[in-house]
Amino acid sequence: MVVDGARSEPDRRVLVSTYTNDNLQRIARRLSVEDGVIPANVEVMPWMTLLLREGGNPYQSAVFGEPGLIQGVDFDRGTPLYATRGSRRYYLDRSRNVYGDVLSDLACRANEDSGGEVIRRLEAIYDHIYIDEVQDLVGWDLEFLDLLFGSQIGVTVVGDPRQHILFTNRRSKNKKYRGSEIAEWIDERTALCKVETRADSFRCNQHLCDFATGLFPQMEAMQSVENVLSGHDGIFEIAEDEVADYIEQYRPLVLRHNKDSKTLGHAAINIGLAKGSTWDRVLIFPTKPMREYLAHRDPTKLKAPERLYVAVTRARYSAAFVV
Amino acid sequence: MKKIHIENYRVFEHFKLDFRDGLNVLVGDNDSGKTTVLEAVHLALTSRLRGRLIANDISPHLVNQVAAKRYLDAVHAGGNEPPPEIVIDLYLEEREETAFLKGTNNTAMENACGFRVKMGFSQDFSEEYQRLLEKPEEIRLVPTEYYRLEWRSFAGNAVTARSVPISLSYIDASSIRLQSGADRYVEQIINQQLSPAERAELARAYRMLRETFADDDAIQAINTRLSESQDDLTDKELSLSVDVSQKASWESNLVPHLDDLPFQYIGSGDQAALKILIALQQSADRCHVILIEEPENHQSPTSLGILIKKIAERCEDMQVVATTHSSFVLNKLGLDRLILIGPEAGLPITGLPAETLDYFKKLPGYDTLRAVLAKRVILVEGPSDELVVQRAYLDAHDCLPSEDGVSILTCGHSFERFLSITKPLGIPTVVVTDNDGREPQEVRDKYNALGAASVHVGELDGGVTLEPQIVSANEIAALNGLFGTNHAGRDELCAYMTANKTVCALAIFEAANRCTLPAYLVDTVAK
Repeated sequence: MVVDGARSEPDRRVLVSTYTNDNLQRIARRLSVEDGVIPANVEVMPWMTLLLREGGNPYQSAVFGEPGLIQGVDFDRGTPLYATRGSRRYYLDRSRNVYGDVLSDLACRANEDSGGEVIRRLEAIYDHIYIDEVQDLVGWDLEFLDLLFGSQIGVTVVGDPRQHILFTNRRSKNKKYRGSEIAEWIDERTALCKVETRADSFRCNQHLCDFATGLFPQMEAMQSVENVLSGHDGIFEIAEDEVADYIEQYRPLVLRHNKDSKTLGHAAINIGLAKGSTWDRVLIFPTKPMREYLAHRDPTKLKAPERLYVAVTRARYSAAFVV
Repeated sequence: MKKIHIENYRVFEHFKLDFRDGLNVLVGDNDSGKTTVLEAVHLALTSRLRGRLIANDISPHLVNQVAAKRYLDAVHAGGNEPPPEIVIDLYLEEREETAFLKGTNNTAMENACGFRVKMGFSQDFSEEYQRLLEKPEEIRLVPTEYYRLEWRSFAGNAVTARSVPISLSYIDASSIRLQSGADRYVEQIINQQLSPAERAELARAYRMLRETFADDDAIQAINTRLSESQDDLTDKELSLSVDVSQKASWESNLVPHLDDLPFQYIGSGDQAALKILIALQQSADRCHVILIEEPENHQSPTSLGILIKKIAERCEDMQVVATTHSSFVLNKLGLDRLILIGPEAGLPITGLPAETLDYFKKLPGYDTLRAVLAKRVILVEGPSDELVVQRAYLDAHDCLPSEDGVSILTCGHSFERFLSITKPLGIPTVVVTDNDGREPQEVRDKYNALGAASVHVGELDGGVTLEPQIVSANEIAALNGLFGTNHAGRDELCAYMTANKTVCALAIFEAANRCTLPAYLVDTVAK
């Protein structure tokens, strides 16, 4: 949707942004399908880069009283616990890099302190901004998004609230919207924007869609658009001693919670990193809560349905759990 | 380009200059910083100085000497003065293609589009610097080895050469550097003039040329023989081919020709002119800035006239900044385009009457630059007045006026035109003129009203022009002795002098013995 949108406006200056570099690269690849390069009117920029280059940098003097201080971003450390918001040590480390967790905070602050110049500047540069995987944005990111919503710039955000795993930062601002509640945040802004809900899956067959629907009973039921079947479809549970043969026979993507998960020596990737990718089949080494869910199918007991959702919906045909 | 602010760079400690659209003619004395302004513009748009990346070339000599001395004095006295920073802020007009350069990251914290070059101490070297400070007496120069270059837009973002929306041509006609193949400047200028499609075509044609070379029957025969006649040293096959590596692009092998003469064999004047002309012919679909250093170099008056005409014609759709030491260039390009480089600012000329502008364009031989660059100007009517006033100055000051920065200019009856140039620039200008039978006060009132610092006119009883005034002030014998003549009466002497104005003035100028000069001339040069 982001790619089609960006490609449909050759006469307008378009910015495409998303939180993860992986997803950004996928978008860039798809944008360049036709000419081998990204169209000249489209710029592709990671969300954090957008916040730094177009948010914090241009009007930093309004916040700090001095031009040209910011050197880059400090992704390793967070803002000091007792620093006051708005102070230099709240935003900048000793090498004058902005703490990653207050980057969106700084962008909003710079806009406020400069009397709205950050947004006015962006209005002069871009006609339309697309943001993919909007469910990854939290805290002050959402405030900055609000500023964009209120600007002359056309803004399209796309996301799947069920997929909320990564956050851009862990500050307490807008905590209530974290996770699948992004849908609620969007719902509160129906006066500002048109909301289109898509419960269609172009990837998964109906078996997998039904499983996913069960994870989020408060949301609309998912429908498979193509519902292609392969002869081995839906949700399976296999025993540990069957894993080797299963992998041999079906060649699934092997997923784990994190590097501490036991995978019987099989190569696996973290569920979070599989976001955005598509496979025929997946094999999942589930966590304890996931196993509970498989046994009782009670979503109210599941604290983080997003992770399970992402794991299962990577597949077109089948998802197997090692139990 | 709207304006430039410079801090601590070369001759400038603090310097500001507003650019005009179209043509800008920078004038100033030697070492006033004309070239420095061009360099600063070039640095801000390319981060290069004389073709080299400045990042690897920051030297103590780039730092303003006043700032350097202040720093060194403070350090030697045990203070902790921070090493001086060089900053160049280049402001650009706000347009669609410059919008992303907007922000307040400039010294004035002004919300504008532009580029900022900063060379200053890098925190990475704090430890080394602390150690250096332990023996301050050993610090003789600004420690630029601990400096780092920051090249950013006013938005605070790092700049790459590709992100600069302005194409720049720097033409220094005074130093023409020749290299193999096309001169680097020509190469750059041609490259910028070609559209991306034309560049691609040129590269393709050149590649084809190299490939057909290898396919040539004669070359193939040679290569066959080479591979057969090989000894047993190696199994590998030896052949001749054209270098197809990256470096062997067309620029190093294709040479511009003028009338079938390769570029490096044509005269310096034509080379310089050609570079300027190629740069001027760029298409108008990008923003162009052309920097020209002294276009008058290597040019005969005739060809200079043609060249200047072209520059004036083309700068309607591009911005040109030229330096010059030539009044001819200045007059032709238009006195209203003048920016006088002072120690702290570029001073534009304002309120110049259209008539004055037009007059000097048509009569470009007038030495307007001498008026513009003088500390004080004395305007006289003719060459004889000039010589006599010079002598008066020598008698009063023991040196010629030019040694004190005083220009004596012969301007016929163009007093008013010269005053309209010097007045807006704040240059004190003195008028020396004959009374020509008018009441001296009337003449004084006229030129005072036009902005003259003082007006010097002979009294009516001394005579209507210079010659009778001199005769009135001296004994007949003294003047006869000076001119080697034997005139009996004052009228006769007067007639002789009027008929031989310059000869007599020269005799007075060169005389070993002073003659008495009329009081109004003595007043003119009074200390």
